[in-house]
Amino acid sequence: MSQPATRTQAKKRGGSQGVVEQRSAAQIWGKSTLLLVILFWCLFPFFWLIMTSLKKGDRALNSPDLFQGPFGIQNYEAVFQQDFLLNLRNSLAIAGMTTILCVLVGSFAAYALARLPLKRKILLLSAVLAVSLFPPVALVPPLYELWRTLGLLNTWEGLYIPYTSFTLPLTIFILTTFFAAIPKDLEEAARVDGASPFKAFYRVIFPLAAPGVFAAAIIIFVSAWNEFLLASTFAPRNPEIAQTVPVAIAAFTGAVEFQRPVGTITAACVVVTVPMIIVALLFQKRIVAGLTAGSVKG
Amino acid sequence: MATTSTDTKRRPGSGEGAPGRPRKKEMSETTLGKVFVAPAILLMALVALFPVVYAFVISLQAYTGRQREGFAGIDNYVEALTDERFWTSLEFTLIFTVTSVAAEFLIGLGFALLMNQAFRGRGVTRASILVPWVIPTVIAAQMWFFMFNVTPGFINNVFGLGDFSWLGQSGWASFAIIFADVWKTAPFVALLLLAGLQTIPEDVYEGARVDGAKMFQRFWYITLPLLKPAILVALLFRTVEALRVYDLPQVMTGGAFGTESLSILVQQYVVRTPDPGLGSALSTITFVIILGVGLIFVNFLGKELVIGGEGENR
Repeated sequence: MSQPATRTQAKKRGGSQGVVEQRSAAQIWGKSTLLLVILFWCLFPFFWLIMTSLKKGDRALNSPDLFQGPFGIQNYEAVFQQDFLLNLRNSLAIAGMTTILCVLVGSFAAYALARLPLKRKILLLSAVLAVSLFPPVALVPPLYELWRTLGLLNTWEGLYIPYTSFTLPLTIFILTTFFAAIPKDLEEAARVDGASPFKAFYRVIFPLAAPGVFAAAIIIFVSAWNEFLLASTFAPRNPEIAQTVPVAIAAFTGAVEFQRPVGTITAACVVVTVPMIIVALLFQKRIVAGLTAGSVKG
Repeated sequence: MATTSTDTKRRPGSGEGAPGRPRKKEMSETTLGKVFVAPAILLMALVALFPVVYAFVISLQAYTGRQREGFAGIDNYVEALTDERFWTSLEFTLIFTVTSVAAEFLIGLGFALLMNQAFRGRGVTRASILVPWVIPTVIAAQMWFFMFNVTPGFINNVFGLGDFSWLGQSGWASFAIIFADVWKTAPFVALLLLAGLQTIPEDVYEGARVDGAKMFQRFWYITLPLLKPAILVALLFRTVEALRVYDLPQVMTGGAFGTESLSILVQQYVVRTPDPGLGSALSTITFVIILGVGLIFVNFLGKELVIGGEGENR
């Protein structure tokens, strides 16, 4: 009596298992196909940008069909006839200086917050958090007046100094997370071996935190590179002095007035974006770790 | 979640270390801490805090052009608050913030859930999600400007809309700007929420499945509550950032057709029609609004979550 019962039970179980497996295989494929939606969302506009930038003459302006040629690289030649290399130089210098200053000042502060005994740590962190909530526009009128007096308008310093103070909170949050994740024993061991606190920091902690520091550096660089409000207010013109890439891209003018030169602008956009996308893809994991560390910390 | 885990890991360690050490070393560590923190504090105080205070001082002065005329009291504030332009830009900024943050949250959550469940192609998708993040906002603005614009008319062509002028009428211009913002930022929100999702242990779901919880129930009673910290942090930063919006409307419409944001309005009084007094009054008002909203959020988050994980009070 009991034997057949168990057999049918076993059969049933086996049968239902098969269904479950089938369904989950279909689900896996279904879910993976849905990922295509995300891929399309993220990549299609960029594909549109490339196709448009490659169109010859007035086709970029007049033809909505992506695959309708003729295609050529004239737009790219036009970009580099417009002082765009100077804009790239300014942006590289300003974003580079911001990154160096932020990492330097930020990693000291983050190490102290993560590891060293500090009074009123909570107060300090609240202050850093408050600064991260500051709207940049609140600085525009007063800094403009100050920079005008100090002669810092239209200079690299006039931009990377405020960028540094604005990006410091994020840097501190990211680096504090990374420093805190390094096992304390290593540092203690260094201290037992007679290293001073400062030596423990730069010989033990700093190298171990290098991946985190690198992630923070990329994120700082990207945010400084992309900044537009201060850049367009403090250095609106003159590529030969301090006009940055976003300002130039926003201000590209064409032969026809009131008509934005689609081809040239899209080509400039591609020139700027491609290296950044390559860097983002190369260091994908670190950037994601940095971004989420910074935000989870608040 | 990550916050609490590092917190519990770190707390016992630091508790052990402190009292055991000799007094002299403790002193030198304290000094070192101060020395290490000082440059950061100094820089932020000098270039973030001081200008805000200075803006308040300027806002109490009367100007003609850039020429100071004397003390004005609260005249600039009265002028700012009675100007209809201020209220229109405040309205746009608020509508932009609420709709874009809501859409980014919903789409980002959808993306994050998809990516969290997919087995194939997760790596590629996660990489592609960084593309909108890394593209400068000005470039995204130019790109969507041309896609929405009548010439070349890509979007109109795809949907067969003829010469529909998205950017040339109020309402639809705001829509286009919000759309561009959602495109750029929803993937970023997805990234933050995905990080939160991945801290939820799988066995919690297993248990619920054994108890017979349906998919929606698992989402509502397990995923959402456990994801709450990540959601709140993402919403805080997105909201504060959306309130600052400048690049997208400035490039896509120049602030025309009811798309002037508070940041554009303030910037206007700095360069185009200079009036440091009125500009500073507006920037101070904007500052108070944005910081206020941020602090309300932080209160929501609770001190424990934001700050409690960072360091321990000594």
